[in-house]
Amino acid sequence: MKDNILHLLQTLRAYAVEKGYLVSVIYHEEDSSLMRFANSAVSLNTNEHIIRLGVEAYDGRRRAEYSMITGLDDLDEMKRGIDLAVEMAHHAQPLGYDMTIPVFKQDFADESAFDPALAAMSSEERLAFFNQAVAGLEEEELLLSGIFSSGVNIWAQINTLSEHTQYFQTTDAQISVVLAHRQLKWEVTAEQSAQQKADLNPEALRRELAFLVRCYKEQPAMQLPLGTYDIVLGQAAVADLLSTMNWIGFSGGAYKRGFSFLSEEQVGQKVFSEQFTLVDDPNRRETFPFRFDFMGMERQPFPLVQKGVFQGFMWMQDDADEFGMKPTGHTVPARSLVMAGGDVPVATVEELARMPRERDVLYIPFLHYMNIVNPSQGVVTASSRFGALLLKRDGSIAVPYNVRLTQSLLDLFGERVAWVSSVTAPYNTSSSYGERNPTAVIVPMFMQVNGLEISHSNSSY
Amino acid sequence: MQKQIQQQIERIMAKGATYVDARWYPLDETSSLTMWNGNLKSAHTNRESGIGVRVLYQGAWGFCASSETSDLAVVFEKALENARAAAERVTFPVRLAEKDSIQASFESPCRVDPFGVPLTERVAFLSRLDELMAQAGVEQRMASMDLMRKQIIFLDSEGSQIEKRITEVFGGLRVSGRDAQGGMQVRTFRLNRRGETRGWESFDPDFFAQQAERIVRELNELRTAENCPKEDRSVILLPGIMFLQTHETIGHALELDRILGYELAFAGGSFVTLDDFGKLRYGSEKLTARADGTLINSPGSFGYDDDGVPTQNTVLIDRGILVGAITGRQMVEEANARAHRTIFNGSGGANRATAFYRVPIERMTNINIDPGQDGTLEDIVQATERGIILDGDRSWSIGSNREQFHFATEIGWMVEDGRVTGVVKNATYKGATVPFWNSLSAVGDASTWSVQFVDNCGKGQPNQIMQLGHGVPVCRFDNVRIGE
Repeated sequence: MKDNILHLLQTLRAYAVEKGYLVSVIYHEEDSSLMRFANSAVSLNTNEHIIRLGVEAYDGRRRAEYSMITGLDDLDEMKRGIDLAVEMAHHAQPLGYDMTIPVFKQDFADESAFDPALAAMSSEERLAFFNQAVAGLEEEELLLSGIFSSGVNIWAQINTLSEHTQYFQTTDAQISVVLAHRQLKWEVTAEQSAQQKADLNPEALRRELAFLVRCYKEQPAMQLPLGTYDIVLGQAAVADLLSTMNWIGFSGGAYKRGFSFLSEEQVGQKVFSEQFTLVDDPNRRETFPFRFDFMGMERQPFPLVQKGVFQGFMWMQDDADEFGMKPTGHTVPARSLVMAGGDVPVATVEELARMPRERDVLYIPFLHYMNIVNPSQGVVTASSRFGALLLKRDGSIAVPYNVRLTQSLLDLFGERVAWVSSVTAPYNTSSSYGERNPTAVIVPMFMQVNGLEISHSNSSY
Repeated sequence: MQKQIQQQIERIMAKGATYVDARWYPLDETSSLTMWNGNLKSAHTNRESGIGVRVLYQGAWGFCASSETSDLAVVFEKALENARAAAERVTFPVRLAEKDSIQASFESPCRVDPFGVPLTERVAFLSRLDELMAQAGVEQRMASMDLMRKQIIFLDSEGSQIEKRITEVFGGLRVSGRDAQGGMQVRTFRLNRRGETRGWESFDPDFFAQQAERIVRELNELRTAENCPKEDRSVILLPGIMFLQTHETIGHALELDRILGYELAFAGGSFVTLDDFGKLRYGSEKLTARADGTLINSPGSFGYDDDGVPTQNTVLIDRGILVGAITGRQMVEEANARAHRTIFNGSGGANRATAFYRVPIERMTNINIDPGQDGTLEDIVQATERGIILDGDRSWSIGSNREQFHFATEIGWMVEDGRVTGVVKNATYKGATVPFWNSLSAVGDASTWSVQFVDNCGKGQPNQIMQLGHGVPVCRFDNVRIGE
């Protein structure tokens, strides 16, 4: 397959060179499967095999892009796409700055994050995985939902400035298992991210679900009074916050445009908790990484925060061109964020619940519908979901109805951080908007932040 | 091609399927331009074509899509195979509500084909607006234009054959600039329904120029404004935020698949239960809401849904009482059976997919609030003792069962004793859905009602972005917490 794709790119390049064009060609292929569950049944079982071709054409300071969904053997349509991109660029308006066109100085192919066994998983195997993950947990009123999304993702690139190509092939799986009470409307979840079939562990999901279901069935439910709480954020919540921070914190372009809560003056300053260290590390295969960016720049681990000290912004090529900065190898579809673990060895919710504590602690595993209230101040808002617990200081557990947090990221990762779990794991943050593009963040399983305010508290599930 | 598709449908039915449909997209094209501070950052055209096939086998769905249409048998066979695998775990066998076999076509109203307008002319349109917005106080300015056109041919095993040709236009302007504290303030304009057609004629240069001038002026007012106070007040929502309130806490909450638990893995559920229909006081008596897919000229009006059912005008909330939902063929059957009563008389014609490679699910059509009898905006302001007028959506976050919400808006105007007293920045409001709608105390008349277009409603797994509309008046709600 790889040879066919690279041959296709060379053929398209030859066509463009012959015509005197200056273009980049990006090939994207996904072979996606998704088994979706609802009300304890398979509600949808899909396959999509889609090939996309993107052409970016340059004409002085003008550029334009034409993309298409096509077939691998539809060469004429692809050539027409190149012609159209060039035609569009000719009529585009010049940019106010010089743009950099990618030059690949060597051939690069990375298939290290591709697993044939995961790629070949059948519907029957996906169904068996789910059956195992919820074995003995479903009841007439306690229904299974969730997804098993898996697929093969290929990116390949070439342009007219050199014959070299870049090729990336990965496999990924994103699994969410939800058990929800039909009448009471409470819901608990367990999730897993996999790059290879060997990463899949239905028994781990079952153990976590069993504990949460037991809590929700047996412990009293309550509306939390408004006020401040010591809150343990679970892996999903921390990953979601980091993804938002990636957007409005570390992007040089967002900063220059006034949509970041960090500034150049803060580089080298202690902005966050000493317990917070974050790096963009393309060597972590669990994050489906890009070891070269789409400009052909080799990517190295890029520290963002070191023991609370802000290390600097990430610069995509176009932002760097516009604002006269040096690019940092971040012209990629997804980054590889890795948050360092702390020093508290707690790996599971059950272990968390058993930890001794001097005050009540609210455990929030998942933040639903996070949005940015004020990017300049880093203020975000979201609601708890999927298995929150109130871990009382006497060792007992209560089940709180969902609550809303509206907080600054500077507080959530600042001096209020009490402890961070030493155990880290990948959390799948893939979005399936438009096209398959696997992403994962490696995060500690838990992080406790003290003194956070709850601004809304539900009166029922 | 249609004949070949029909043959494949018959072949799969002969293998034991109980229903098969196919959506063939000969053309699905988008063309987007984004100009940012005078730089044409994006000039992008995307074109796709392909087929999506749904098969119902022993009460379970299988779906398969491909851009490769030269061997249709492979796609149909895979959809059947997926349905067979899904049939291993069925708890409520899928049944589809009755519908007529339909041979029809639909074309969205468009006077001037926007795809026929040369790229240079489209760029020049944005460039002029960019120049207009380049004024003191404006640090960032953006002008954008998104055009879409789709040709969709639907065939099913019940004999329907429907062709749709839909053209959409979306446009927007945005300016931002820093306030005295260094915080970034934003003001936005989005193109909404203007008249009875939407084509290139929607891009009226004078109208856009007026909007550019307005948002720059309001931005500069925001840059010197005080912060929104944290207190309880009446909120008067202009259509630029009222549409989102309606979208998030009526529209999504009343999608029947959410109510039945089909979106719990991701988007969430709904606080509404089947017992609530006909009983729940969702809002005050001033609230009548409807899903109106028959409204002329809106992205939420598409002729026939992707079940092949004609779009309809369905009342959702009648003078405050919940009476309807956003529905497709599968969910109404299941809801009636689970409720042991007939809540829904057939599909509401709201099952849609965003592309050939996605499966249809319940989507909003035009979720509208009927105009009221409380007069103009000025009348409502004059009748408000202590309030705030809000406009523009800056952020939105909603509970997983749509039971509570938090919205940040772009701008607020404080109201004291029936008079507007000044602008405030960083205005937010929050509430719990049912108490909030029950605090609805004034609904503006037809002069305040407008149809807002939405081009980016996300739902489902794999995720789907959908276009739709909201016809909403100015509304006032009492005792709402603002400024958090």
